[in-house]
Amino acid sequence: MELLGNVIFGFSVALSLQNLLYCFIGVLVGTLIGVLPGIGPMATIAMLMPLTFNVPPVAALIMLAGIYYGAMYGGSTTSILVNLPGETASVVTCIDGYQMARQGRAGAALAIAAIGSFFAGTVCTLLIALFGPPLAEIALKFGSPEYFSLMLMGLVAAAVLAHGDMVKSLAMVVMGLLLGIVGADVNSGIKRFSFGVYELADGIGVVVIAVGVFAVGEIISNLSDPEERQVFTSKVTNLFPTKEDLKQSFGAIVRGTAVGAFFGVLPGTTPAIASFSSYMVEKKLAKDPSRFGRGAIEGVAGPESANNADAQCKFIPMLTLGIPASGTMALMLGALMIYGITPGPGVMTEKPDLFWGLIASMWIGNVMLVVLNLPLVGMWVSLLKVPYRLLFPAIMLFSAIGIYSVNNSSFDIYLMAVFGILGIVWRMLECSPVPMMLGFVLGPMVEENLRRALQVSRGDPSVFVTRPISLGFIVATVLILIVMVLPAVRKRRGDITD
Amino acid sequence: MKKIAKSLFTIVLVFAAAVCSGMAAAQSYPSKPLRLIIPFPPGGSNDIVGRLIATKLTERLGKQVVADNRGGAGGVIGTEIAAKSEPDGHTLLIVSSAYAINTSLYKLPYDPIKAFTPVAKLGTGPNVLTVFPGLPVNSVKDLIALAKEKAGKLNFAAAGVGSFQHLGTELFRMLAGIDIAIVQFKGGGPAMIDVIGGHTHATLGSLIQFMPHIKSGKLKALGTGGSKRSVVLPDVPTIAEAGVPGYEANNWWGILAPAGTPPSIVGRLHKELSVILSLAEIQKRFLDQGAEVDEMGPAEFGPFIAAEMAKWARVVKEGNIKAE
Repeated sequence: MELLGNVIFGFSVALSLQNLLYCFIGVLVGTLIGVLPGIGPMATIAMLMPLTFNVPPVAALIMLAGIYYGAMYGGSTTSILVNLPGETASVVTCIDGYQMARQGRAGAALAIAAIGSFFAGTVCTLLIALFGPPLAEIALKFGSPEYFSLMLMGLVAAAVLAHGDMVKSLAMVVMGLLLGIVGADVNSGIKRFSFGVYELADGIGVVVIAVGVFAVGEIISNLSDPEERQVFTSKVTNLFPTKEDLKQSFGAIVRGTAVGAFFGVLPGTTPAIASFSSYMVEKKLAKDPSRFGRGAIEGVAGPESANNADAQCKFIPMLTLGIPASGTMALMLGALMIYGITPGPGVMTEKPDLFWGLIASMWIGNVMLVVLNLPLVGMWVSLLKVPYRLLFPAIMLFSAIGIYSVNNSSFDIYLMAVFGILGIVWRMLECSPVPMMLGFVLGPMVEENLRRALQVSRGDPSVFVTRPISLGFIVATVLILIVMVLPAVRKRRGDITD
Repeated sequence: MKKIAKSLFTIVLVFAAAVCSGMAAAQSYPSKPLRLIIPFPPGGSNDIVGRLIATKLTERLGKQVVADNRGGAGGVIGTEIAAKSEPDGHTLLIVSSAYAINTSLYKLPYDPIKAFTPVAKLGTGPNVLTVFPGLPVNSVKDLIALAKEKAGKLNFAAAGVGSFQHLGTELFRMLAGIDIAIVQFKGGGPAMIDVIGGHTHATLGSLIQFMPHIKSGKLKALGTGGSKRSVVLPDVPTIAEAGVPGYEANNWWGILAPAGTPPSIVGRLHKELSVILSLAEIQKRFLDQGAEVDEMGPAEFGPFIAAEMAKWARVVKEGNIKAE
């Protein structure tokens, strides 16, 4: 029972008054920046890090980690309430979460997001404690061919996201792929579709698109239809999920956690990929997929669990191998080294207080987040009663501040406005922006890894089927294609009007 | 009556304030908060060094020095903003080797030679050449021999076209006379992970980033990029002494001010910076980052930048590297 001893030791570290305080500050700051669009954990940690140099390393790291996973909790709040994704990973939550809010079930959506995140956080804390090092070793087996095949599978599965017209969905995926091309090409350095504009040299920010299309587009559309607003506030029903809600969400939370943990261990993926994947899984498994996009609670429970699981499991490669899975993790790695700690397999044995203390604090942080978020649900929901003439300008203001703060660039605000207009055009044409977002997130990764894999194999495409992990994903992709195409063909034969 | 008295009072106040501020400006610099433009997003080495210097400059100058991240386009956006700022000593720019490299890669919206006046060089960040431990080499000479034996077969991971790691690798390829493929990644982190996983063979990058993996044996260090051995890795030879004479590729950081900034202000800033760089605390902070304090004044820093520009221009030209 060495593990039990370690866990108890971890809690003894994390439960000290000082560490509890820093953990609380971390998750509180995280929740706040999660609520604000644009400003993400990375910029916050970079700016707060110098302040932590006088704090003991364990406390500092506990706080920085709290900011990171706290942001994942906060990100869902504005997605659900006002269709404003606070973080990239919360884009998916907008789809069904916002619809739930429109039906007066914002409280249930917020609560299930918090419950799902808590479950995922708990499972992943255990996962890190039990299987951290071996999982990280497996993640290292992923090279460019594996990432390509995995992302390809995601792109093909995107067809599941189709809501209504299949052709329109495919067109929107392609739109996302095209938008993803903008900026300097990684392999050649050539700038594509940047039109000599330096602000476009690094591509379009995903938050800019998400906030523009979802939040700004939603505001314009609401303004054009004042009737809708009445429905929205008049029937705020139960604040907490019903028994039925919980029953429906349970499977989604478990599956979301599994999906998130898988992507979390892989260094080369972003949380948005985990939440998108979880949404696709839920929609595919649902008895009645047509409920999705109209306020299905699984569409909130799954992705919210997934993005929190992903955030938490990103600590596995960082803590056990010293490999930063994201920019934020690279920063924390830097912080560790400033405190004189060399990350890597040695951390567990050389600095057990840090390793186990941090893991225990993550679980405590998750408890704090639930305690912090559940009572807030009532307050958030009452925000919806704020008249639109006040709420709209406030949303616009916070969106603009958030977007500006990413790069301190006013260009991004103009770009957000452009995407707001595009968002309303797509809405009028009844084209869902969700497949576009997926194309935008996955497209550049598919291209980059495909070209890199081929460069390393000197142009030999067999590399995708001779490497076992990659082959597995390719086979799965083909199976998904078959499963998807067959019923569509059968259906078309049976009922042409459908 | 009350109204008139109030407006009169306001006029007197405004006038007094104007006189005072005018006198202050003539008497002492700085007269208002300073802005240190960091032309990269938060988190990178420029950001870390920049924020450190900004904090200390605030203490020395008695006015707030605000670190202002203006990232994008490999540093070009922030540099352009600095180039177009008022040359009154209240806007400063932190630059790194990317500043010298960009000259030969991009059509720039500023004149890299005439737009700025050098203030001080701050430090040097050495690079290290590492390989996947499964590769049967133990020295730079071994690696070159293997690359010659398997011409065109070895893959070097780099952090993106035109990145410092890319040009440092290109310089290595040119001087060693070997045929290798340079595989690009989005940043130094992903490139390093790929080599640790054994998917690509070797990579050259910042010492601080590779350090934990060199210690844990996940990467094998063959040589460092400086002109002398790194104090952080004293057992590892420089690439130059290990078989590629003339090789030198270091990252560095320095402060520039917009051209036209009065020499007296540049002198004052340099004085304060050299005091800051001599602090034991700052030197330790640099070492923590795998870097070393390497101070130069305006007279030396200018020619140093010119030499760096010439060196990388040659590599870009001979390596036929294009980024636009």
